[in-house]
Amino acid sequence: MLKIENLKASIEGKSILNGINLEIKAGEVHAIMGPNGAGKSTLSSVLAGRADYTVTEGKANFMGKDLLELSPEDRAREGLFLAFQYPVEIPGVSSTNFLKTAINEKRKYLGLDPMEATDFLKFMKLKMEEMEMDKSLTSRSLNEGFSGGEKKRNEVFQMAMLEPKLCIMDETDSGLDIDALRLVSAGVNKLRTPERSFLVITHYQRLLDYIVPDFVHVLYKGRIVKSGDASLAKELEVKGYDWIKQEVEAAV
Amino acid sequence: MNLLEQIKSDFSNYAAQAEPGVFFDKRLEAFAELEKFGLPTLKNEEWKYTNLRKIAEGNFTNTCNSNLDAKTLIEAGILNRIECNKLVFVNGCLFPELSDFLDEEPGVILSNIAQARKNHTSIFDAHFGKYIKLEGEGLNAMNTAMMSDGAFVFIPKGKKLRYPLMITNIVDANSHPVLQQPRNLIIIEASASATIIENYIAVGSNSSFTNVVNEIFVDENASLEHYKVQRAKGETYHNNYTQIFQNGNTNINQVTLTLDGQWVRNNLHFYMNGQNCNSLLYGLYITDGNQFVDNHSRVDHAKPNGFSDEKYKGILKDQSTAVFNGKIMVHLDAQKTNAYQRNMNIILSNDATVNTKPQLEIFADDVKCTHGATIGQLDEEPMFYLRSRGISENEARKMLLNAYADDIAEKIKIPELVQILEEEIERKL
Repeated sequence: MLKIENLKASIEGKSILNGINLEIKAGEVHAIMGPNGAGKSTLSSVLAGRADYTVTEGKANFMGKDLLELSPEDRAREGLFLAFQYPVEIPGVSSTNFLKTAINEKRKYLGLDPMEATDFLKFMKLKMEEMEMDKSLTSRSLNEGFSGGEKKRNEVFQMAMLEPKLCIMDETDSGLDIDALRLVSAGVNKLRTPERSFLVITHYQRLLDYIVPDFVHVLYKGRIVKSGDASLAKELEVKGYDWIKQEVEAAV
Repeated sequence: MNLLEQIKSDFSNYAAQAEPGVFFDKRLEAFAELEKFGLPTLKNEEWKYTNLRKIAEGNFTNTCNSNLDAKTLIEAGILNRIECNKLVFVNGCLFPELSDFLDEEPGVILSNIAQARKNHTSIFDAHFGKYIKLEGEGLNAMNTAMMSDGAFVFIPKGKKLRYPLMITNIVDANSHPVLQQPRNLIIIEASASATIIENYIAVGSNSSFTNVVNEIFVDENASLEHYKVQRAKGETYHNNYTQIFQNGNTNINQVTLTLDGQWVRNNLHFYMNGQNCNSLLYGLYITDGNQFVDNHSRVDHAKPNGFSDEKYKGILKDQSTAVFNGKIMVHLDAQKTNAYQRNMNIILSNDATVNTKPQLEIFADDVKCTHGATIGQLDEEPMFYLRSRGISENEARKMLLNAYADDIAEKIKIPELVQILEEEIERKL
């Protein structure tokens, strides 16, 4: 589904990603862990198409297309979804209108007719029940006045509505208390299917207790320096990141 | 003939056959002020960014002449979706066929000025020219000296105007450049209330200058909703001075919407002459091409416990220019004043210009006042967020600008007018 080869990226001349190689197949859940400043959020930003970053080298192929050539909106329409670490509050844009526009723009891109208003509302109602979303959230302006937990749940709800192929979750656990973390993870687990893949970016292992990954990668200084299964996350929880840093420094 | 010469000539013709009386005396006084001060120039601080040169050059014709029929006028943009009382003026003169009143409450007077002077002389003379400042205000003096017709509204004590009154001024510049000077006098007595919509439109390819003066008196415990919609397309020059004189415990909601017009200057002056006045001033301007729009406002908090909230928002495209100058004056007596003022601008091109000057002058010592101005582009973070959900850049920009403008649209309490505004925003963006 996604194949990243030797991806290098910089911001304002400062190199952040120094050659990422990663392959995610349909239905797999990959976790990217790493200390602060390793390049975790940069990786998600580059994949989603944030303009602040310059890709200096490498390739990313998504569903047979050159991902890096696509505009952010076309990446989304092809089935990529980024759950933001800090979802933006947009006063005056209603959540409902926003979702309807997003769905219909994607349908247009795929050559489908727009969804009728009543069909859309039915679909939204269904998804809200499935995701146990409070009705009041969709009647308000997008993320406006939402608590940290509500914002993250709303990201997962959008995911359910837009039905992406690959979900990138950028530090979704940051700023969540344990109850909110459980709710958000339960939402994500409902969306797991044999076709849909996830790239879960996190600093802490605790999120991975709820969203259990197939693969865990450690990012350090802009490179994946270690890969393993879910047990690697547990090991990091116990031992911290220092031993990995030492291993890397020793190898140099 | 330049504008001043023309006004002088028109005035001497008028004076030769005018009946003596209060009305004539006020106009004579105004004419003397105009002769003394002339028209404002760029040297005047309040006109620093606003050039009257093209207007002063003149060659406008001051005449009612128009061949337009009712159907054409309606299509030109009379807002007939709104159920309301209507006064329609073409080139400054009443167009009776389209003027229509729904309110028939005894005591309520809706009329044009020309009729009101004859039929309600004592009320007219008691208020006309009482509130508007002439000294140093050449355009106000010019309007007072040589005014066209306009609306006369009198809501007696405790009465409510059930339907809004829409005052539509239409320029018909099909055959020649037009000068019109609408003059509206609105009197709302104690505990009474009214809603007024000013609607400006234009047809024809010649230029025009519309110089409006509104005098509005709101007595104790009364309330006013006042909307101004500027949609006069083409080579139109428009100056509007609205003077609101409010007594204690009054509530006023004023919204100024500037969409079209080559050159527009809005002057809005609130004078709070009593305690517990509540005044809201909101504005939205969306400019493109080489439009020039200037919003000048002044709120005088003269008595204690007043509240004012002012918010003007602009969206500028192409080579257009906007000016904002807001002054909040808190007088020595006006303790416990709360006053807020903001001017926000989004610039969508490299060639647009904004000059903004929010001002506070405070002479009382126990007040809460804030002011501020912003000029910037559309924020990148919300743009990226919307795009990352599959929404195109264009559509995302539209959604964000609509949201920005809706903040002002929601201050309008007539749903049909909000809808019309939303269509206009869509058109302009």
